[in-house]
Amino acid sequence: MTWLRGYAVLYLLFLYAPIILLPIFAFNDSTIIAFPLSGFTTQWFSEIPNTPALVKSVQTSVIIALTTAVLSTTLGICAARAGAKYTFPLKAPILGFIMLPLVLPEIIVAVSMLVVLLALGLPLGSWTVVLGHTLICTPFCIAILNSAFANLDPSLEEAAIDLGETRASTFRLITLPLVMPGIIAAMLISFTISLDEFIIAFFLTGTEPTLPVYLWGQLRFPQKIPVVMALGTILVVLSIILLILAEMARRRGLHRTGTQDSGGFL
Amino acid sequence: MTAIVSLKDVQKYYGTYHALRGVTLDIAQGEFFSLLGPSGCGKTTLLRTIAGFEDISEGTLILSGQNMADVPANKRPTNMVFQSYAIFPHLSVGENVAFGLRKRSDLNTKEKAALVQDALEMVGLVGFEKRAAHALSGGQRQRVALARALILKPKVLLLDEPLSALDKKMRDQMQNELRQLQRHVGITFILVTHDQEEALIMSDRIAVMFDGEIAQLADPQTLYRRPISRRVADFIGVMNFLPANASGNKIDIPGLGAATLTPEQCPGGTPSGPCTIGIRPETMSILFGTEPAPARETNGTVHELAYYGDMTYYDIALPGVEKPVTLSMKNLVGRRVLERGESTRISWDDRALVAFAD
Repeated sequence: MTWLRGYAVLYLLFLYAPIILLPIFAFNDSTIIAFPLSGFTTQWFSEIPNTPALVKSVQTSVIIALTTAVLSTTLGICAARAGAKYTFPLKAPILGFIMLPLVLPEIIVAVSMLVVLLALGLPLGSWTVVLGHTLICTPFCIAILNSAFANLDPSLEEAAIDLGETRASTFRLITLPLVMPGIIAAMLISFTISLDEFIIAFFLTGTEPTLPVYLWGQLRFPQKIPVVMALGTILVVLSIILLILAEMARRRGLHRTGTQDSGGFL
Repeated sequence: MTAIVSLKDVQKYYGTYHALRGVTLDIAQGEFFSLLGPSGCGKTTLLRTIAGFEDISEGTLILSGQNMADVPANKRPTNMVFQSYAIFPHLSVGENVAFGLRKRSDLNTKEKAALVQDALEMVGLVGFEKRAAHALSGGQRQRVALARALILKPKVLLLDEPLSALDKKMRDQMQNELRQLQRHVGITFILVTHDQEEALIMSDRIAVMFDGEIAQLADPQTLYRRPISRRVADFIGVMNFLPANASGNKIDIPGLGAATLTPEQCPGGTPSGPCTIGIRPETMSILFGTEPAPARETNGTVHELAYYGDMTYYDIALPGVEKPVTLSMKNLVGRRVLERGESTRISWDDRALVAFAD
């Protein structure tokens, strides 16, 4: 057991050491990223709002992430509902096929989308990034929403119809509230994925870089690196909060429908 | 009889699978009617077609005088108690029970609340309206489902195996309560069950279904005493089957001798030639000592026995019969339990025999 404990510590260190370095250097009073630390400062954080290009890229990223979250969750709801409720020819292959972007290398997705968009003569911009992000986020949404819809007892909807409700009001009164935690979780996850996605954004963004693309560009200027680290710290904290919220929403959903936990992201 | 539910030659296909094969059925106002059969016999499909969750492929369904062909489930005068109870988990008990009243714009909030109170009182759940749905026991969920369905005063209440999720004690209690509730409200109940005992206890009439068809439709006593076929007899309770040979109205039964059967004892038609004779275990008895036989008697030996406390089941080997016959004896005070291998006399009454054509 002792060697197992040691292994676990090493494992966690390997996973998280780089991320722990991020906040350490974000508060370090020096432009050189090296030990020993020279002093404590919040200067890098206060410099963030004074960098217009940075603020702009944050805005672009948030807009893209929000749009992606709404789009991919909507598509996910449709797919998960169809998969849980109906049987149709070639159901398994079709459902498998729409999950494919989950395992497809992002670079392949990015390059092929770029080729197609250029061939079609369409201009690159925020909306092309949204398109690419929706493509890779939808499978995640489907995976989350599948469990929400599959846990839904079909007789609940039948009971509502039996008690006089229409299909539409049944969806609103019964289905939606019961899968709502799944919907929230799907939106949070796709928002997070879109926000820090780099490869697709790098290829498909036009003249308005997203935050990760902007940060990558700043790495060439050593004096900017502490600001990047400060921003990275904020992003890491934000991501963790969002993921925790997503997981909480998912667990609440399980509790509501009274079903057993069968996995999840955390 | 005024039929509240009337089915004529109802057919249901799922692709090429023929789930209902021409069901014709009339159910009277105020009747407690059961659809009984093994899983896959079409009983649940039939219930769901009445509720409107499944379309009828062919045939007609009339509910309280109205053809249901174009009436969707939410407009039908039926309500259903689901096997899983389908209690809405995000709503409280009171909200669940009041759910069906949402569309009743003719009632104000006060009237609706009074109806909810009445419904909860009817099922013995007064004071539970604030309780969360997932904090209920199985029996309580069952009651909420009943109250929620009955608050709309449906013409017909449909119950899909409502007791199968309860334990034995709770089930016995709910059987009783359901029967009393049905008499109290006077609404037609249609119960789907695979439990023959449950059907016998609760129903006015029972339709036994096999393979999408009604095999027999009768009151519990007729169904038990005069099953129409060996398959029905085998499904309802325990019955001994003996090979026999019929000529005219005389039937020769190896092991029991010759017997004359009335037409009533041949509910599936008078057989001729090789046939099967059925007899229930409780209609036969063991004769102790020199006790005179109340009817006919023969000799046998105890092949096997099972002591149940209140009853003892004996398998008695009869000369000339391949399979031992099973009979049951109440364990009365002073009555001895026989031992394996012991010789005994057994007695039966020819009136208990039922003949089935092979």
